[in-house]
Amino acid sequence: MNKNKFILFCILPSIVILLIVVIFPMVGAINYSLQDKSLRFLEGDYIGFQNYIDMFEDRRFINALKISLYWELITVIGSLLLAILVSIILFEYSNKNYRILLAIILIMPIMLPKVSAGLIWRFMLSPVMGLVNAPLISLNLNPIEYLASPKLALFSVAFVDIWQWGLFFGVILLFLLETLPRDLIDAAKIDKVKKWQLHYFITFPMLKGSLITIALIKAIESLRSFDLIFTMTKGGPGITTETLDLYAYQQGIGLRGEISYASAMSVAMVIITIVIFTFIWKRAQKS
Amino acid sequence: MKKNLISNSIIFLLILFAITPILFALLGSFKELKDIINPIPKIIFSPTLENYITVLTTDSILRGIQNSTIIVGTSLLIGILVGIPAAYAIARYKPRGSNDLRFFYLSIRFMPPVAIAIPFIGIFLDLGLYDTKTAIIITYLPVTISSIIWLSIPAFESVPKDIEEAAGIEGCGYFGIFTKIALPVASPSLIGAVIFTFVITWNELLIALSLSSRNVTLPVVAASFTSLGFETPWGVINASAILLAIPPLLFVGIIINFIKKYISND
Amino acid sequence: MLKKIIFKTFIILAISGISLNAYANSCKGDVSEINVLIQGHPAMVHMEKHKADFEKLMDLKVNVTTLGEQERRSQSRVDASTGAGAYDVYYVDEANIAEFVKGDWVESLDKYFPAGADMADFQAGKISIGNINGTNYFAPFMGGQDVLMYRKDIFAEKGISVPTNTDEMLEVAKALTDAPNMYGWAQRGQRGSGMNVWRWNPYHRGFGGEWTNADGSPNINSAEAVKATEYYMELFNYAPPGARTGTWSDQIEAFRAGKVAMMTANDVFGAWVEDAEKSSVVGKVGYADLPTPILSGGFAHGLAISKPGTSSECEKVMAGEFIGWATGKDMESMRLDEGIYDIARQSSASNPKFTSLMPDDFNEAVKATSPKTSLLIWKIPEWPAIGDELGLVLEELFSGTRSDIQGSLDEVQEYAIKYLEKSK
Repeated sequence: MNKNKFILFCILPSIVILLIVVIFPMVGAINYSLQDKSLRFLEGDYIGFQNYIDMFEDRRFINALKISLYWELITVIGSLLLAILVSIILFEYSNKNYRILLAIILIMPIMLPKVSAGLIWRFMLSPVMGLVNAPLISLNLNPIEYLASPKLALFSVAFVDIWQWGLFFGVILLFLLETLPRDLIDAAKIDKVKKWQLHYFITFPMLKGSLITIALIKAIESLRSFDLIFTMTKGGPGITTETLDLYAYQQGIGLRGEISYASAMSVAMVIITIVIFTFIWKRAQKS
Repeated sequence: MKKNLISNSIIFLLILFAITPILFALLGSFKELKDIINPIPKIIFSPTLENYITVLTTDSILRGIQNSTIIVGTSLLIGILVGIPAAYAIARYKPRGSNDLRFFYLSIRFMPPVAIAIPFIGIFLDLGLYDTKTAIIITYLPVTISSIIWLSIPAFESVPKDIEEAAGIEGCGYFGIFTKIALPVASPSLIGAVIFTFVITWNELLIALSLSSRNVTLPVVAASFTSLGFETPWGVINASAILLAIPPLLFVGIIINFIKKYISND
Repeated sequence: MLKKIIFKTFIILAISGISLNAYANSCKGDVSEINVLIQGHPAMVHMEKHKADFEKLMDLKVNVTTLGEQERRSQSRVDASTGAGAYDVYYVDEANIAEFVKGDWVESLDKYFPAGADMADFQAGKISIGNINGTNYFAPFMGGQDVLMYRKDIFAEKGISVPTNTDEMLEVAKALTDAPNMYGWAQRGQRGSGMNVWRWNPYHRGFGGEWTNADGSPNINSAEAVKATEYYMELFNYAPPGARTGTWSDQIEAFRAGKVAMMTANDVFGAWVEDAEKSSVVGKVGYADLPTPILSGGFAHGLAISKPGTSSECEKVMAGEFIGWATGKDMESMRLDEGIYDIARQSSASNPKFTSLMPDDFNEAVKATSPKTSLLIWKIPEWPAIGDELGLVLEELFSGTRSDIQGSLDEVQEYAIKYLEKSK
């Protein structure tokens, strides 16, 4: 076997499988999206681009676009901020001997299945039995309706996502901080530079590349908001936490069963994400 | 001394922030419903194993565990067989267009799961595969293959080239170098990559929820406990949330080592 | 193989009506397993625990799949509409029975319900939910109607009497609210035809609202619907936190935890409230007729034979046998023995285990609301989608993300017209 054949032998199966498993459903989705099939009426007629036109007159779709965008922004920024805070706390205040143990504890939340995390926090945030509201109730104050208030619900669910990812990225940033040249930090310390100055001016600028990568990874992972939202609010109250994937699910698979319409939304979603992320990725690679 | 106290309490608060919810659920899983719905959480209560017994004697949970094991196991195995050689070839030989190739694998992760699940319903119905384990396994392949490749490339990149070249001189073929030299040397990191992928797949909800009712995985079963009937069995929900989280949590130690290595290699 | 099937079918047809056992016995060994899709309702969980009895009796394997309510509805629909046919038995309820019958997805039960299981013993109100054009399509195992539940101790302490009309009810709810310790009222706001629509509807219909105009066209945005929505929204001011997106269990748990003074609820919850293991208000609850003009929403959940899932005559027979067993008299009395008080049979209603559980005023309240009870939702195949849209809009109104009641209901009306047009 020569070198090129060997490389081909190694790489080809993965490409073939991935292309098949991705192209088939995409062709399927485009095909469905041009019809008016539903799970109640499986024989559909081709109706051109009607589903796509309907989409932009559908207030729930427009709303879902908006919520998805908010979700991306809140979770990406929130996780990064928490991660930076956590990494500095660990770096400055934790004993080196116990760091690995601390790290293990702090990545536990990300290991939880989203379903578990969602259920656990629904329980924590419950106005009647939740731990978070217990102090208010014992002080005879009204509990806060974290998941039932339209103003708070999206933030509450995003908080759980940030709880999972922020702590995880915090540990990663800690490890990254540890890889920085020690003498630089020591020199700064001798100069009596304040801690926040050290990190703001020296360490984190050095980690800029890693921070961008982390932000990008988080942005990609935030596209998978479904599991958490599905277990915590199912899109409610009203449609205030209804993201694109949740709405497509509700339309296509949930009670409505409008697979053609949902397929059109899927196609739109794929196009939007691929265009945006390819653009961002290429930009990030250049810098 | 005082400084020590402050830093210790900051760290302590951080730990509380991370694990209080998990502990609260754990506590709840040993409570009777009457103790759970009390507005002021009870710390002292008579613990019960009832919830776990209910969970572990429910057919759908048991089948969920079985289905999850088979589905995740198989798709992981295929991911390993297909993904690891690919990762090796890209890391070691950097073939032409390997950057684009890397981006291709990553871009698979851009695909919204719902966009894959909905058309697959139709496709699997046509193929007679709807609501089978095979269907879910196939749908999980993009996830397992692409993540294993992505996470394994650095593992192979850190294998010193000279060891491989020495083996080449000793007459090992390309395949021999891969299996006899590169794989064993990289295997500690590869295990981390595989486990990471395991966690991602084990935790998946949407695809399993959409493509199956009889062959559902554990997350689907756990999620459905919240809308069972009239009574929300919070004790049982807590118990199933904990149970579902055990396999991933078992691996935190391995994962943390993997991350550490991954980062210090950079 | 085909010959065998034809032969068996012939035998079955020949002996049908002779005796239940002979009928089923001829199929014994022919069907190796039946698949059942259920919602994990306590009565069904109980059934699953005892399924070995049936397996032994009929020498086959019973595979039970349990899903949550919404998932159960959508998965059974996919299974039926696509002809996938993975299940022999579906769990069907008042909200989707019409859809399943129209789609020709369920088999007539009159033909396959075992004679020994005594179909005549089902309570009329519950079996009738699954009766369409004179044919029974499901066998109910639970269901109910509404009554007013209130805290006798609190009403006595404050010297307040039980409200008899909706105006009084609102005043009482207001007077008894002392947040965060006591709320005068409890109801649910989460979207869904079994959730907020279910509780809103008794006001809508009670105020005189109708689903359709005289000519059969949709009439969802009537003045009565607006009035019902306003009234319902006002009640939320006296309900515990979380109610605006809450579920039935949030509502009941708040009441059981002793934080609610009064609510209208389904009579099946009477047993929950009086369950000393889980309730802190046992013995403190009074039951009464509904304040006028509120109507009582009758409902039932039952089991039906799947058409796409049962291709052979024997499979249908066995599915029928299974349903007969799972909804039988013995099963219900076993449930009562184990403290599960969901019943659908007249014989169970007179079982001392059932009658002794509930106080006298409960039985009187049920009697009083019986004449006001009917299936209040719109019994059409398109209901699941229309009910879902209505539920969503109501939840938006309740949680305050929308405020224009008339405009919101107009939107649902428009949706219903379009959807009905499309479904023709």
